[in-house]
Amino acid sequence: MTDPQTIISADHLIAGYLPGVDILNGCSMDVKEGELIGVIGPNGAGKSTFLKALFGLVPVREGKVQLRGEDITNLKADKLVQRGIGFVPQTENVFPTLSIEENLEMGAYQAPKTYKAQRAKMYDLFPVLGKRRNQQAGSLSGGERQMVAMARALMMDPSVLLLDEPSAGLSPDRQDETFVRTRDINRTGVTVIMVEQNARRCLQICDRGYVLDQGTSAYTATGQELLADPKVIELYLGTLGADKDDEDDAGAVVAPDATTEKSE
Amino acid sequence: MRNADHAGPKARHFPLRIALLSTLTVAAITVISAVPAQASQLATEVADTAGGTETNLLLQNLLNGITFGLLLALASVGLSLIYATTGLSNFAHGEQVTFGAAAAFAAVTAGAPILLAAVFAVLAGGASGWLQDTVLWSQLRKRRIAPMQQMIVSIGLALAAVNLLQIWMGAQRVRLSTSIEVRYEFGPVSIGPQTMISMAVCIVALGAVGFFLQRTRLGRATRAVSDNPALASATGISVNRVIRIVWIMSGSLAALGGVLLALYENTSDFSAGARILLLMFAAVTLGGLGHPFGALVGSLVVGIVAEVSTVFLPTPDLKYAIVMGMLILTLLVRPQGLLGRKERVG
Ligand SMILES: Nc1ncnc2c1ncn2[C@@H]1O[C@H](COP(=O)(O)OP(=O)(O)O)[C@@H](O)[C@H]1O
Ligand SMILES: [Mg+2]
Repeated sequence: MTDPQTIISADHLIAGYLPGVDILNGCSMDVKEGELIGVIGPNGAGKSTFLKALFGLVPVREGKVQLRGEDITNLKADKLVQRGIGFVPQTENVFPTLSIEENLEMGAYQAPKTYKAQRAKMYDLFPVLGKRRNQQAGSLSGGERQMVAMARALMMDPSVLLLDEPSAGLSPDRQDETFVRTRDINRTGVTVIMVEQNARRCLQICDRGYVLDQGTSAYTATGQELLADPKVIELYLGTLGADKDDEDDAGAVVAPDATTEKSE
Repeated sequence: MRNADHAGPKARHFPLRIALLSTLTVAAITVISAVPAQASQLATEVADTAGGTETNLLLQNLLNGITFGLLLALASVGLSLIYATTGLSNFAHGEQVTFGAAAAFAAVTAGAPILLAAVFAVLAGGASGWLQDTVLWSQLRKRRIAPMQQMIVSIGLALAAVNLLQIWMGAQRVRLSTSIEVRYEFGPVSIGPQTMISMAVCIVALGAVGFFLQRTRLGRATRAVSDNPALASATGISVNRVIRIVWIMSGSLAALGGVLLALYENTSDFSAGARILLLMFAAVTLGGLGHPFGALVGSLVVGIVAEVSTVFLPTPDLKYAIVMGMLILTLLVRPQGLLGRKERVG
């Protein structure tokens, strides 16, 4: 656990929303500085719950979350933001009546001095947002909202970024853009833990993947290993993925097994 | 009650709504200036003998409606902010208004000039908001008591507070100022200096609230909390601190509203706030629950409709029935209120 390279770790987390109902039953993860981690698993496996548990939004009953060796279990979200963790929820991840710029300002709420500089960085990273800075976030498309949400989480310059299904509900083009951008953000040195429904595409870009099933982290391996693992193919990539294999080989960047969920 | 799913606000329609409202206003004014041949007879009776021109009853009532609407807006903006940030429909808000009048009356009785008494009332109102949130509401939120249960608590609090206020103020009516109001003539309408000052104070105070919400960082954080408290806290905003400030503001503004209402009606008593509680709820709902400017627009419409309707009604006692009828009609056509954002269904 005290591996100097480990930036964030979860040790046998047991957590849930209602008393007596555990959604996570001993979920563990060990993430090295600078890694891009993909978390896949069936619907209802507890992927979102796991991210929320890391971020103090779901009470952890047993187990430990550590950031650089320090215990951060059940710390309040605003404290975790201060310590350099950013979280982008899957849905309702922008303030709809605030403008794009105001959304970004809220992202830097705890560090108003760095706000202007960070904002300029975000407008470089997402030029669309700069152009439409005064537009209300609620009037944006799903893809644009996702950008606002991501930019908002990056305003505090986090060292760990938690993303919950950033590609959900987007068109294939937009999904691809999201994956590329996530990879780019990761390359700037931000450790990223990304939960994804689009398992194939996620495993293609991540350093390491975790398979989550029924509230436990079943196993972990590099993205490539998981993509080749017959069990993973059968359970999570499915026949749909196999059908499209040719297409993938041909270099198509389209996400084949996207089950475009519109809402929870 | 509150749908957590705030999606798809139609910001683009805001100018449209304003245009629509202005058109309606212009239309109403046209009707007013054309119609009141029959009313002018009545108007002559009320016309100030000192003035040369006749008072136009409709215009006079319109002015009274605007005055009352502004007072109502000031009193109810806190109700609206608390609802927006916490989901609580605070039934004790009427007592918050009375509390302002009571505090000012206590100061006046102790010999303070009215201006100082008003400042004292505003400070006391803010303090009561802070105290309530500290010892009661924040504790309920911490224990995750749902807004519905909190509302029941607020009803209990209102009952207790109205009795305490009666003990404090007595059962009789009280007056903050014993001066007899003179009225100035402005063409077809007349207005007293106290009323003019009240209107000015309302406009300045409401402008300050608008400035706070739009132009300050804390105000924008307040709007963020009312958009989505969970996301606000995940973003690093200290939601409880924001709500604490909303309670302080709400208490101060209600107290100021109470003082001005007592001056406007030239009387007050322990149930003054309770009498306007339902009107405040109507105004906030009409304007758009949770919308920062919903209370203002809703209150103006409620005030104007109530006062203007008395010109046409056989008895002024029916004016609030007209207001409630209008509220129901509006909700049937625009369930989210005049300014409210559409809730996404599903
Ligand atoms: N707010 C909540 N309250 C109670 N149960 C919840 C809540 N959110 C999710 N759950 C339950 O937790 C389980 C895991 O959900 P979730 O973590 O969202 O799964 P995933 O993100 O992997 O699809 C599901 O059975 C779901 O019903
Ligand atoms: Mg999920």
